[in-house]
Amino acid sequence: MTGSVSSPSPEGASAPGPAPRLRWRTVDIVVAATVAAAFGVVFWLWNVTFAAVSGLFLVFPPSQGLMMGVWLIPAVLGPLIVRRPGAAVFTELVAAAVSVLFGSASGLAILLLGLLQGAGAEAVFAATRYRSWRPLTAVCAGVAAGITTTTYGLVMNYPTWPIAWMLGYYAVIGLSAALIAGLGSWYLVRGLAQAGALASFPSARTHLDRR
Amino acid sequence: MSTAAPSRPAGAGPAPEGPRRPWLSRANPAAKLIAAFVAAIGLIVAIDPVTSGVVLAVALALVPFARLGRRVLLRLGVPLLLMSLSIGLVNAVVGEDGPVAALGVAVRLLAIAVPGVLAAATTDPTEMADALVQRLRVPERPAMGALAALRLLPLLAGQWRTLSLARRARGLDAGANPVRAGALFAGKTFALLVRAVRTGTLLATAMDARAFGTGPRSHARVSVWRASDTALVAGSVAVVAAGHALSIALGTWQVLFG
Repeated sequence: MTGSVSSPSPEGASAPGPAPRLRWRTVDIVVAATVAAAFGVVFWLWNVTFAAVSGLFLVFPPSQGLMMGVWLIPAVLGPLIVRRPGAAVFTELVAAAVSVLFGSASGLAILLLGLLQGAGAEAVFAATRYRSWRPLTAVCAGVAAGITTTTYGLVMNYPTWPIAWMLGYYAVIGLSAALIAGLGSWYLVRGLAQAGALASFPSARTHLDRR
Repeated sequence: MSTAAPSRPAGAGPAPEGPRRPWLSRANPAAKLIAAFVAAIGLIVAIDPVTSGVVLAVALALVPFARLGRRVLLRLGVPLLLMSLSIGLVNAVVGEDGPVAALGVAVRLLAIAVPGVLAAATTDPTEMADALVQRLRVPERPAMGALAALRLLPLLAGQWRTLSLARRARGLDAGANPVRAGALFAGKTFALLVRAVRTGTLLATAMDARAFGTGPRSHARVSVWRASDTALVAGSVAVVAAGHALSIALGTWQVLFG
């Protein structure tokens, strides 16, 4: 039933606008949003489950950057699944909206951060003109999201830090974003494809052919 | 946590208008969003306590108009205070600009967060989507698609419970081992993601079957923009400007990274 969308453009070829490859189908919108919602739930549970651990990060603040990659997963995972322009911004923004619903400490202001995180990853996918979905692209997208996140964090929270600390913060978050958000998302999509969940998406084919 | 917030029935419109609803809840969500962003973006450049202090004072003065219960205030306020305290402390200990700048960073954090928290606490997701589409001209399909996915939150939380119970039934338990707990968490995350993608695909099929996004859409709920909403946005700009002006006049104004 759900796997019937094998033709690239189920929305009617008569519709004007961008090429079918770049057009958002309903399933693209809803699945990107659902993935974001799932991560909203996961983030919330993570905060509840590991609240004790997060206190440790206060001892050496740059170390909390190590976990930052987890919060950037939607910005890379969303585009890797649906492969549409704007998917990074959309997915990360919805994930941020979910964390607002669950009572994020910053309220609606967190949407600004989500927008920036998504924009970072979006820039990389846009630079490939939405044609490359390889692990290297995913890593670059993760790092780009990490850079915008770090800049926001430094401007908002730690503007008085010495420059060496700031550079260190960039390095730590960049590493975390490359590994967790970049490579991690790529392997998540591979796993989803192998679990048969991505039957409606072109992303499934590349991953299944590769085996 | 406010898990109850997303679980309002999908068909329920905004609560009935009337004098019983506090003023901040009646304000248009788009106006509240813009006001919160004005505070956030307007305060970025200054890290002295005076500029942000003015904005924070006004934001705190608005709290009674949100008419939040004491428990909600505690739940929202305590993490916020802890966050700004710890970040202020880090800036005081590690920072190069001295304790006043550290205080400024902490106050600015609160001045940015409090309007956003007030806006979030007094806004219903459905009303927000209505306002985004009808007032801010956000494209309809992504806005409605996102709203549909938000309605799945209680379902996803329920699926997480099921996944946890299934693992417990199979005797998988981390005990006190944090590494094992992390691995178990990652496994459950992946399983939840599979369920989420499948549910989303199914939902999209159902929405397509109802011709979602194929034509102009009428609105069951009209998002009203009142004069008070314009006043709210104009007021937020005025307050941020007043903060900067007062701080410059007092000679305390300190620019970011300056």
